[in-house]
Amino acid sequence: MTATATQRRSSEEQASGTSAWRRRVTSEPAARVTFYITAFLIWVGLAAMFVRVPGPAAVTASLVKEFSRGEVFSNFADTFYRFAVGVFLSVVVGLAIGVIMGMSGLARAFFESPVLVGLSIPAIIWAFLTVMWFGFGDTSPIVTTFLTAVPFVIINVAQGVQGVSRDLRDMSSSYGVPLGRRVKDLILPAVAGYVLAGVRFAVIIGWNGVLLAEWFGGSGGAGFRARYWYDANQFAGFAAWVILFVIVIVVLDQLLFERAARRAFRWRDAGH
Amino acid sequence: MAVLTVKDLYKTFGAGTPRANRVLDNISFDVRGQTFVSIVGPSGCGKSTLLNIISGVETHTSGQISVTSDDGKPARMGYVFQDPRLLPWRSVRKNMLYVQDQADDETNRRVDKYLDMVGLGKHGDFWPGQLSGGMQQRVGIARAFAVEPDLLIMDEPFSHLDAITARALREQLQDIWSQSKKTVVFVTHDVVEAVELSDRIIVLQPGGKIFEDITIDLPRPRRQTDPAVATLQAEVLARLERMKGMAPQVSAAP
Ligand SMILES: Nc1ncnc2c1ncn2[C@@H]1O[C@H](COP(=O)(O)OP(=O)(O)O)[C@@H](O)[C@H]1O
Ligand SMILES: [Mg+2]
Repeated sequence: MTATATQRRSSEEQASGTSAWRRRVTSEPAARVTFYITAFLIWVGLAAMFVRVPGPAAVTASLVKEFSRGEVFSNFADTFYRFAVGVFLSVVVGLAIGVIMGMSGLARAFFESPVLVGLSIPAIIWAFLTVMWFGFGDTSPIVTTFLTAVPFVIINVAQGVQGVSRDLRDMSSSYGVPLGRRVKDLILPAVAGYVLAGVRFAVIIGWNGVLLAEWFGGSGGAGFRARYWYDANQFAGFAAWVILFVIVIVVLDQLLFERAARRAFRWRDAGH
Repeated sequence: MAVLTVKDLYKTFGAGTPRANRVLDNISFDVRGQTFVSIVGPSGCGKSTLLNIISGVETHTSGQISVTSDDGKPARMGYVFQDPRLLPWRSVRKNMLYVQDQADDETNRRVDKYLDMVGLGKHGDFWPGQLSGGMQQRVGIARAFAVEPDLLIMDEPFSHLDAITARALREQLQDIWSQSKKTVVFVTHDVVEAVELSDRIIVLQPGGKIFEDITIDLPRPRRQTDPAVATLQAEVLARLERMKGMAPQVSAAP
């Protein structure tokens, strides 16, 4: 038998032991990039096999044309405005109802069923209904975005509030901390993770809502433009808009949520 | 300082159900002035429940309980719990301010004063997670003193700490307490600790009746190493021997 000793490597040794390029290749950003490359290659392959799948070249060409026609910015601006208002409303209302639901059993009993019903109604139904109710214009996409997203925010926040530490709630009530301060300093920070998850859902689900409402509403915007190309049987133009949506969602997610999450959880990551 | 009156107090959890569990059984006592009272008893005898009733977190089943300030104003109360109970996402100073009525200059000065007193004057901007358990508990103690309470309520505040830290904090607590005029109700399962700290010890027995009410007449400041303290500790322990073997009784409500 040979005597073996377990040697622990110090962080300095670990850093100098692996070459820089190797660390970069095995990093998380590298994994992300690998996905994008793979997805792109699959797309190229599918386009080569099927006539009705437009390839990257065709889509880029349509996108460039759409830009040069000046259609992109004005339509996206419309969509963004509707989307932002709808998401903002759903977050404000969802937070309020979610906090109330989480704090009071009575409120929970009251709101539980409508929220469940709301969760089960797909965006496309709201898109149809709001176009019927409000006609063409900003109202239908805003209301669709709001109605699609708000149940997700509510359910997430309510769950978070119910999970707030009993000990901290008892501490607050024994010191007679006023309700407003309790919500601001105890409840909201405690549910920050749930709120972020809820807002993230709201953003992604909200995109569905706004695009569908524009698709049927015919009042301009990204969804309207995508339908225009779809109706014209121009799949490259249609795909160009789909790609634009996807890029916007990914960028929003990375820029806003990663940052918001890092900021909200500074206290957890602080070194000793 | 405060006057705490407890009279014919009963507490039954789940009263009127088959699971009814009487936890406090005919408790009566008064505390007033600059007195340090300990409530001692084996785990599960209802000490925390009694404190929760005094603090208003729990309701009692029957009997009277009242807390009044010496000067006739509504009594202020401060609490120290078994664990620090700090908001992990707020700095130490913000945790102290969280339980204060106001956030004016005077309050800020007071918060700093008590942080200094527990030796954490330089840690106001730290997050609780950056402090050791003992330091966090000191923040909890400073928080309670900083509301300048008439009545200070402490529930086994040192039981989660190692012996060395606990001893240092006990001495610190005595020093702060003798400088500030406060009525203290201190819960512990540790008779030795109770003798070192208290003017009076109320012993609860399993089932939640008062077993004994002992006056501790020793000069202050007391230190764990004083022979006089050690002698009295042994004596009180011997008196409580009689409680040994008492089964925790689960009696149904009448
Ligand atoms: N919220 C509650 N509901 C039901 N029973 C409880 C509750 N809190 C405490 N008890 C019971 O009351 C008894 C006393 O508990 P507690 O006051 O925490 O004891 P101690 O602090 O002396 O250890 C225990 O038997 C416990 O099970
Ligand atoms: Mg207890």
